Amino acid sequence: MGDQSNSPSSSIDSSSHPALCSTSSSFQTRRDLLSTDLKLGLGLSTSALHGSSSKQREQLSHWPPIKPLLRSTLEEKVHRSHSKTFFVKVYMEGLPIGRKLDLFSHNGYDSLMRTLRRMFRTTIICPDTSRVPPEKAHVLTYEDKEGDWMMVGDVPWELFLTTVKRLKITRADKC
Amino acid sequence: MTYFPEEVVEHIVDFLGSHGDRNAVSTVCKAWYQVDRLSRRSVFVGNCYAIRPERVVTRFPEMKSLTVKGKPHFADFNLVPYDWGGFAQPWIEAAARGCPGLEELRLKRMVITDDDLELLSCSFPNFKSLVLVSCEGFSTDGLAEIATYCRGLRELDLQENEVEDHGHQWLSCFPDSCTSLVSLNFACLKGEVNASALERLVARCPNLRSLKLNHSIPVESLNKILARAPHLVDLGTGSFTIDNRSETYHRLINSFFRCKSLRSLSGFWDASPFCLQAVYPICANLTVLNLSYAPAIQSADLTKLVGFCFKLQKLWVLDCIGDKGLVVVASTCKELQELRVFPSDVYGAGITAVTEEGLVAISSGCPKLNSLLYFCYQMTNAALTTVAKNCPHFTRFRLCILEPEKPDPVTNQPLDEGFGAIVRSCKNLRRLSVSGLLTDQVFLYIGMYAERLEMLSIAFAGDSDKGMVYVLNGCKNLRKLEIRDCPFGDAALLKDVAKYETMRSLWMSSCDVTLGGCKSLAAKMPRLNVEIINENDGTSESKENLSDQHKLVLCQQFTSVSNDIMFTSNDPDVCRRVRL
Repeated sequence: MGDQSNSPSSSIDSSSHPALCSTSSSFQTRRDLLSTDLKLGLGLSTSALHGSSSKQREQLSHWPPIKPLLRSTLEEKVHRSHSKTFFVKVYMEGLPIGRKLDLFSHNGYDSLMRTLRRMFRTTIICPDTSRVPPEKAHVLTYEDKEGDWMMVGDVPWELFLTTVKRLKITRADKC
Repeated sequence: MTYFPEEVVEHIVDFLGSHGDRNAVSTVCKAWYQVDRLSRRSVFVGNCYAIRPERVVTRFPEMKSLTVKGKPHFADFNLVPYDWGGFAQPWIEAAARGCPGLEELRLKRMVITDDDLELLSCSFPNFKSLVLVSCEGFSTDGLAEIATYCRGLRELDLQENEVEDHGHQWLSCFPDSCTSLVSLNFACLKGEVNASALERLVARCPNLRSLKLNHSIPVESLNKILARAPHLVDLGTGSFTIDNRSETYHRLINSFFRCKSLRSLSGFWDASPFCLQAVYPICANLTVLNLSYAPAIQSADLTKLVGFCFKLQKLWVLDCIGDKGLVVVASTCKELQELRVFPSDVYGAGITAVTEEGLVAISSGCPKLNSLLYFCYQMTNAALTTVAKNCPHFTRFRLCILEPEKPDPVTNQPLDEGFGAIVRSCKNLRRLSVSGLLTDQVFLYIGMYAERLEMLSIAFAGDSDKGMVYVLNGCKNLRKLEIRDCPFGDAALLKDVAKYETMRSLWMSSCDVTLGGCKSLAAKMPRLNVEIINENDGTSESKENLSDQHKLVLCQQFTSVSNDIMFTSNDPDVCRRVRL
């Protein structure tokens, strides 16, 4: 997956944006907890199996009580073996025909940006960059479950996956 | 007995293995205190904040082995914030100043940095053994320091640590002159490790008996390593995936066949089912088998493998083995002493992997069983009663029903009677974890019968303060109590505050305890270290109720026999932490 961008202002620099770091810290941060808990929401959970009055496992944090190494081993296996896909539509402003992209085949914002850059041949800017966006640059936005259009990259990747409905690449000077 | 030469006392005291016994000896009189302190080689500190490192080092100048534990147990489940503490630095610094003869350091749930590892590697010329369990704060750079400077290192054992990956060079830092390794475990490392450097290291360490690889070491390397180290007793495989029935695979079978001393197997990262067959030749010799990181292997293959392991004493496995698989274990592994069955379904998809049936089968087939950790979908009182009857020798019994507050599915009753049967029958029970639907009654039973109980873990159980009070009043030997999500409040917390001085620690989170209650406790017991961990990002210090973000941690602080300066906290000012 060639990831050299075409222009010098390739702005997706994972070191400048904490949410884009796929392994932001090896230490157990709250973000790691959050991602674990939210992954529960993405899983195959069939909550109907549990009685309505009982505590659902999905709502509980830090449950079942297993060590992080085991938890990450099991989650990796699920990701790999289920080959679940999550295709979303991607439109670029000015182009009437959109594309479709499988978000589950990416493990973070870095990977997503690289693919989009390749698909649409444009520079996509990270929202935290303090540089003035060049004229031709774009930003990546998404429509969330509530119907609002938001900038991609602000929330942890796993949270993003639970709320994104579709993507749109818009001109930077419009945001 | 009043006049006994010190040499004789020392000789006798040397036979005492347990720290508890030696501690008791040291309190008899000043002379015996002196004998113990000068002859104690192995020092155990169960809670790093109970005593200052300098005190330990001054008291035991001939110390050769130091074990220190940091964070509370629930830190394993992410309930303790990263910056809580448990820093190794003051311990290593104190030991470097006062005990340069230190040979072994064992740390559990502590934060150790690369700088600490560097200091360690240069401060102890006879250093032989470093064991880090569930620690964090360091990277492979720190490991490079240990490899480079610890001449004569015998053991580097990294168990389930969070290690930042700064590259694979660290292993190459073991000099060519290093031939002393007996035990090397880097299974928890996430990054690449230089396989050829490892092969050379193994080749020059003829005493190597225990080797645990991480997932980055391919099977081809494993073949070469086993060829060089056929005397291995304990092996953790690296990646255990082979693409097809290739040459590599056949060589692997031969390699294992030659390892006549192999008794313990673990690893199997990414293991695919048919690769397991390579292990069949040595199954008959295995006493320890850990398959808990091999989620791709399903019941049929697990069952087949275990069916060959009739000398097995310790089995750790995922619940995909199923009840049927456990029946096979029960009929094969008559020497089984410890069983751990971990959940493989973390998403709550309701896959019913193991139930009470598997446990009952094990209990009737494995009479020597004394240690259990069992994650299951459901449990019944009848099953627990049967298990209690079949296995009265349990010292550790931990049951985790995956759905909290789940009753006995057959009778719809709480599981009070079942656990009651366990504590009544198992007179030597030292550690217990309860789960499922439980009322205060179960705690009445625990208080009444669990006389030897030292550690109790409770989650989503009980009806009222009475539950906690039964436990505190009853269990004379209780040392560690950890409670989450139970309706125990200030009345329970404050009922018998003197009890806490006999315990190592108490943890309460998401219970009904208030800030006022904790302050009251701290005021009544100034020698207790009472601490609230507040994970709110803002201002909630004036809140009277501890919300879900607050946790109470309490531990005893020791004073020495001669009542000298008490330990006062000089921790760095960790944010969001309130010491009362």
